[in-house]
Amino acid sequence: MTRARVAAAVAATITALLLQATLVGPAFSPWAVSLPAVLVAAVALVDGPATGMSFGFAAGLAADLGSRHPAGVLALCWLGVGLVCGAVADRRSLRRDALTVGIVCGVSASAATVLLAVIHRGGPALDAVTDFLPVAAVSTVLAFGVVALVRAMLHTDHLRAPHPVYTELLVGPSRAR
Amino acid sequence: MRRLTRRQRVSAIVLAVLALSFLTLDLGGSSLEGAHGGVRGALGSLYRGTDSVIGPVRRWVQGVPSAGTNESEIGELKKENADLRGRLAARRSDEHTTAQVKALQQAADGGNHVLLPARVIAYGPGQGFDWTVTLDVGRVDGVRVGQTVTDGVGLVGRVLHADDATAVVLLAADPGSGVGVRDTRTGELGVATGDSGKGFRFVPINAEAQISVGDVLTTGPAGSTSFVPGLSVGTVTSVRTSADGTRSAQVRPTTSPTEVDLVGVITVAGRNLAGRAPLTPGGGR
Repeated sequence: MTRARVAAAVAATITALLLQATLVGPAFSPWAVSLPAVLVAAVALVDGPATGMSFGFAAGLAADLGSRHPAGVLALCWLGVGLVCGAVADRRSLRRDALTVGIVCGVSASAATVLLAVIHRGGPALDAVTDFLPVAAVSTVLAFGVVALVRAMLHTDHLRAPHPVYTELLVGPSRAR
Repeated sequence: MRRLTRRQRVSAIVLAVLALSFLTLDLGGSSLEGAHGGVRGALGSLYRGTDSVIGPVRRWVQGVPSAGTNESEIGELKKENADLRGRLAARRSDEHTTAQVKALQQAADGGNHVLLPARVIAYGPGQGFDWTVTLDVGRVDGVRVGQTVTDGVGLVGRVLHADDATAVVLLAADPGSGVGVRDTRTGELGVATGDSGKGFRFVPINAEAQISVGDVLTTGPAGSTSFVPGLSVGTVTSVRTSADGTRSAQVRPTTSPTEVDLVGVITVAGRNLAGRAPLTPGGGR
């Protein structure tokens, strides 16, 4: 992983957390719509499950430590988001990717709600069911912009994932005689 | 669907165990309290900076869904407010009317008069006089020209003209008319003339009469005034002696000519002779 990719990941995580706290969270309250989760899903769709789950775990842990609930809840959930989105990515259409992000983020938000309800021995566990559709819908809308942006960013020369380099050898009789 | 490599599966399991370890540690005690505090502090200062830029946008976004609702709610509240103000005004008006009716009743009881309640329905000049009001009662109700009009406390005027359904009253404060009055303290008689809205100007018949500030003037005497005697006209507020020794006084009216609303036309003035016995030497009867 290059230094530029790490810097971009840190910057993207902080930006997403700030926008979540100051704009997205209050705007869609009481639904648990999460911009960082959408970002994790978008990165996983573009870069695969390995990057997705690493990025999801790191971003989730940062969000956990910055909030009042126990650390590890969002790290676990967003790890799952990165893993699932990286595994199901087909990169064929933006619409299909956005829908995938919406559904996975909805499931992730419901899982986090249930997990917190279990931890706190009670709480609004029913929200996991009732909020699923609104969260998935809003996440899908957000995903259109985020996935397009992440695709454009991760396809630049500086941020492109390093791939193995193959040397093509032409074997056969030479035509030039 | 892409198959995970063995390395990816192992990484996922390790990270999940790590997350559960953090969860257990944080639930178990205060091991991560320092980390929580550090990240919260760093993010908190960033939140404040970001909110100062994004806050207005967020408030606008939050207001969009309820914009129409707020407008209709504001409209409903305005309507409700106007309705309540109307009710309050009506209630005050009712209280005022009740007080006026009580005053009229007391005047009827005290003076042994028969009073016909009437509402002022118009103000304005009429028949060449400036200070008149029109009442909603007329000849059909028993109103006749010359009858005295009171508000229950003081003199208002006298009926100048009566139709079947309405009557025009010349206010006592009219500058062109005078009222025969008596100073209740000294018994001195005189004439109170309307003084262009400032009240009355009182000139006693006796040029040397003693007039003092605070003296109360009433209509009178009986038989020599066109008004029912004994109604309060006003209170002396200042006394003036001219160069030739003639005294006059400025009088504040008991009833403001511009504030009359519910009045009573005295259709039958009480003489109140009942129980009055002749006086004999020695006080015996």
